[in-house]
Amino acid sequence: MIPDWMTSAPRPFDTVLVANRGEIAVRVLRAAKESGLRGVAVYSDPDAGSLHVENADQAVHLPGTTLADTYLNGEAIIEAARSTGAQAIHPGFGFLSERADFANAVKAAGLIWIGPPADAIDTMGDKISARRCMIESGVPVIPGEEISMGVDSDHLGVLASAAARVGYPLLLKASAGGGGKGMRAVHEPKMLRTEYEAAAREATAAFGDGTVYVERLLKGARHVEIQVLADSQGNCIHLNERDCSLQRRHQKVIEEAPSPAVTPTIREAMGEAAVQAAKAVDYEGAGTVEFLLSDRGEFFFLEMNTRLQVEHPVTEMITGIDIVQKQFEVAAGLPLGLSQSDIGITGHAMEARIYAEDPSKGFLPAIGDLAMWRAPAGPGIRVDTGVREGDAVTVDFDPMLAKLIVHAPTRNAAARRLDNALSDLRALGVITNIGFLRQMTTHPDFISGGITTDYLDSREVSDFAEPEPDPATLVAIAAAASRFGLDRAGSGSSESFVDEHTGHSGDPFRTLTRSFP
Amino acid sequence: MEWSIGESGVRYTAKLSDSEGTLSLGALTRDGHEAPHSEIGITRDSQGARLLVDIDGSAHIAHVAKVGDDWWIHINGRIHVVHGHEPGSADSTAGEGGLTAPMPGTILEVHAKAGQRVREGQTLLVMEAMKMEHRIQAPKAGEVLSVNFAEGDRVDMGATLVELGD
Repeated sequence: MIPDWMTSAPRPFDTVLVANRGEIAVRVLRAAKESGLRGVAVYSDPDAGSLHVENADQAVHLPGTTLADTYLNGEAIIEAARSTGAQAIHPGFGFLSERADFANAVKAAGLIWIGPPADAIDTMGDKISARRCMIESGVPVIPGEEISMGVDSDHLGVLASAAARVGYPLLLKASAGGGGKGMRAVHEPKMLRTEYEAAAREATAAFGDGTVYVERLLKGARHVEIQVLADSQGNCIHLNERDCSLQRRHQKVIEEAPSPAVTPTIREAMGEAAVQAAKAVDYEGAGTVEFLLSDRGEFFFLEMNTRLQVEHPVTEMITGIDIVQKQFEVAAGLPLGLSQSDIGITGHAMEARIYAEDPSKGFLPAIGDLAMWRAPAGPGIRVDTGVREGDAVTVDFDPMLAKLIVHAPTRNAAARRLDNALSDLRALGVITNIGFLRQMTTHPDFISGGITTDYLDSREVSDFAEPEPDPATLVAIAAAASRFGLDRAGSGSSESFVDEHTGHSGDPFRTLTRSFP
Repeated sequence: MEWSIGESGVRYTAKLSDSEGTLSLGALTRDGHEAPHSEIGITRDSQGARLLVDIDGSAHIAHVAKVGDDWWIHINGRIHVVHGHEPGSADSTAGEGGLTAPMPGTILEVHAKAGQRVREGQTLLVMEAMKMEHRIQAPKAGEVLSVNFAEGDRVDMGATLVELGD
């Protein structure tokens, strides 16, 4: 049944298929349910019992062992939409979200693509065409050069001369890379070969393309991005900025909104540039225009992500706008119903990405079973999770488990709330970066708001080591837990259920029939 | 039972005495020697995996979970892993000088060969795990005794990749 709010829409739909997994699939499926839509999940074998499947009204199994068989299998996903009566497909982020051919295939199948036009994905998805388009539209870009690598050409010779013209330090980017994959910093000429080979290989492994782009590495710059929303009537607004300067090897660690480095003047100029960039490609839906902001307040276009982003919740917190709901509305052909003057900033929001990884071992992904997973709750705390207690964390997928988002009246209050919430997140059984994130949120460099994108890579992990615990306490707890037989208690199972308020064990309803003296 | 904490190889034992359900830490040894400790009393909470921990008169709550031989402990906003060992058993971690695969994955590059001297921090191997590249680096200067895998080989977690001598 078409929900009320969509009955007058040009392209109404009542069922949406989410072509993704993990926390973002959960997020979109829940948004669908809240909007009165039926949600369809797809899943591969390792995800058969996962949270995103549980959150769907219907789920379709994608057979096969590789990503190409499953979450990257456009044909199977379109077929899943057909067989379940889903009229719309939401790609989430990653996977097929930035594949123009998939967007086209969805439309060709008579389905609604919840994303921008394929041409916009194409133009922005290629860093070189994106840059050309931005130069034409008057959006400022970083000095740099593109290099097309023929199969038999002298790669290094061509690369070295381009690198010499652009100047060191520089950034090598595989044109089809993203999310830190296929992107390498080169600080001196002698490292060019090693880093190029690594970048080319990573990009090929992750995306299957090999073109390279060389650009000047701006030191001491911040990563500031603007969330934009556009509808099919040509309205386009921005939802202010997010600051994602705290990164490790181009993977964002903590994001926040608004940026501590952005003044109202910069915000207005950057917001206008972002809207200009979106309009240049006739954008529709939610997108993000990323900029580098120099310490002198100049900003340069980095790239446009033509999809929902991992860190979208911080923008939702400060603007009060549900971006996924807006994506549904725009996909149905409805106007935004918002103008730029409706968009304000309330308080400050921060997001920490919870990864299964070991900071003390170079942030190596960790695996294991989540023997305990208890997320924090309270005013101004939001947890977007893809996992539950008891879930296995495997090597099959990205190691991001969840996102912890906080909202508070001021930046300092938000940082304190984030630290507190992190300290309440009880993730046992798999090594995570929670302790590292706590060190980060309480670090004077973070509190001061002066973090730049090169910050984490120029420091040792040991600078953020957690305080040494008292061994006597830990050993006593381990010994006592063994003595009490807590390893056999099967905590969390229904047998050992203890009612929080009465202290009675067993099914809470069973106690109702009992007689007490 | 002997215990070690996190990555540290130090072995501890704890002697607990039971008084009406409260377990008190009577004695602690550190690598076989008596070690000083705070006054610690632990009681079981009605909640399944929760312990009430009294440290020198102040109350704390610990949440615990057992995984294999390890106790995972959340206390005072921090997460710790305490490994259990049969008394006298060798460290479960690889022998001195062996560099093990931290994750299952594929060897992409081999930069060292047997007999070669390497400096601390030098990249010996590059492997791919979870779609990211990881450099396996020498933890100390020394001589490479053997390289056990070649480019393209798949390795399991814990496999000894390189043997490093002094």
